[in-house]
Amino acid sequence: MSEDLHESICEASIFERVYNKYADDVHNFLYYKYGSQYNPRDKTQDAFIKLWDNCKKVSFAKAKSFLFTVANNMMLNEIKHQKVVLNHQKMGVKHYTNETPEFVLEQEEYLNKYNIVLASLKEEQRVAFLLNKVEGKKHSEIAELLGVTQKVVEYRIYSAFKILKKELEGFKIK
Amino acid sequence: MIDEDLLKKWLNDDLTDAEKIAFIEQTDYTVNQKIIDSAQHFKASNFSRAEDFETFKTNYQKKSSVKRINWIRPLLRIASVLVIGLAIYFSFFNNNLVNEKTLASEKSTISLPDLSKVTLNADSKITYDANSWDSTRRLKLEGEAYFKVAKGETFDVVTKTGVVTVVGTEFNVKERDNYFEVKCYEGIVKVTVDSIKKQLLAGDTFRILNNKLSQDKMQQVQPQWINNISRFKAIPLADVADELERQYNIEVKFNNTDSKRLFSGGFVHNNLNNALMSITQPMDLTFKISSSNQVLINGSKN
Repeated sequence: MSEDLHESICEASIFERVYNKYADDVHNFLYYKYGSQYNPRDKTQDAFIKLWDNCKKVSFAKAKSFLFTVANNMMLNEIKHQKVVLNHQKMGVKHYTNETPEFVLEQEEYLNKYNIVLASLKEEQRVAFLLNKVEGKKHSEIAELLGVTQKVVEYRIYSAFKILKKELEGFKIK
Repeated sequence: MIDEDLLKKWLNDDLTDAEKIAFIEQTDYTVNQKIIDSAQHFKASNFSRAEDFETFKTNYQKKSSVKRINWIRPLLRIASVLVIGLAIYFSFFNNNLVNEKTLASEKSTISLPDLSKVTLNADSKITYDANSWDSTRRLKLEGEAYFKVAKGETFDVVTKTGVVTVVGTEFNVKERDNYFEVKCYEGIVKVTVDSIKKQLLAGDTFRILNNKLSQDKMQQVQPQWINNISRFKAIPLADVADELERQYNIEVKFNNTDSKRLFSGGFVHNNLNNALMSITQPMDLTFKISSSNQVLINGSKN
């Protein structure tokens, strides 16, 4: 839609479209990168507010990178090298009703360890890995988002995987 | 490391069908797959989501209205500083005009901020700015006043007809209808009337009566009216009657009299009968006082 490139995001309907398109992505990006404790929801909001306030200066085409850059900076301003905590979903009993309690416990331990390893990963590795494997984003997409090449993205995902595999070696899989 | 290459390709979703089968047959396939599967537990949307657009809009209104209020605060601060500044300015630099007035048959003596003394004759008024008196000794006179000026900067008496400037002296200024007169009792007095500039020394008199300029010398050291006597030297009867009116708060009417006749003499301020006698007798006139403060002066001849 080349016409969009020249449309102003100051127009309410256009802005709404931008919002609906990128809000989740920005949120997830922040969540995966920085965890839940720094309120990725609020930062996502703030980033869009800033976009709206600057709607005259930002073109439709530049809106996406603007949002990600602004959101990231806002987050960085608040955090000063704190530990990242992702939440992992506690095991829903319904999925494992025919499993033994030991198994459930082991799974819990596995996921706890997984969480710790994720937190210890480099931000860039964690973000690339989760955006690709959990959100299903293509490498090319992620590359554009983070402002790096596809090869770099692939390497980050590979690195993250290798570390996870190494740290989770001790767990027996049924 | 073929395994490693396969792994990389698998991570990139870049395996051919044949390669897929080969990968699945690896011993650590389940381990690999579990790692990928377990990642799902950490999906962001399970714990936190971006808000929908409607919520965003509502929150934006809230946030921007807060911003607007923050605009008002600094504005209010600036406004209050301005108000206080103006208030201080006006209280210090504002004119503080003082008016002193006498009514008919009234005399008063007042002190100016520099301790100069002004004695006002009846029906007279001075106006001056008390705040700037330290730097500018300048007052407006309507009527007649006797000045005893303290030493200091120049002292100006501004009247409708002319300006009298002194530096520490005693002088009398009289400004009535068609009658402007300055008498110097001590020191030097400068009189300016339009383009006329005169300097008076002690004992000098300067007078413009009916547009006629005259200068004179006198013996007194003080005006007589301060001692409740009015003295005149060749002054038209009409002006004498005017002063009488002022001192006694009465109205004088002439009948059969040429009020332009010149009178030399005086009258007291505390006895109307005596005063009238002093005026009429030398001029060969008679008078009659009616009850409502009206005096009729009769001439016996044309």
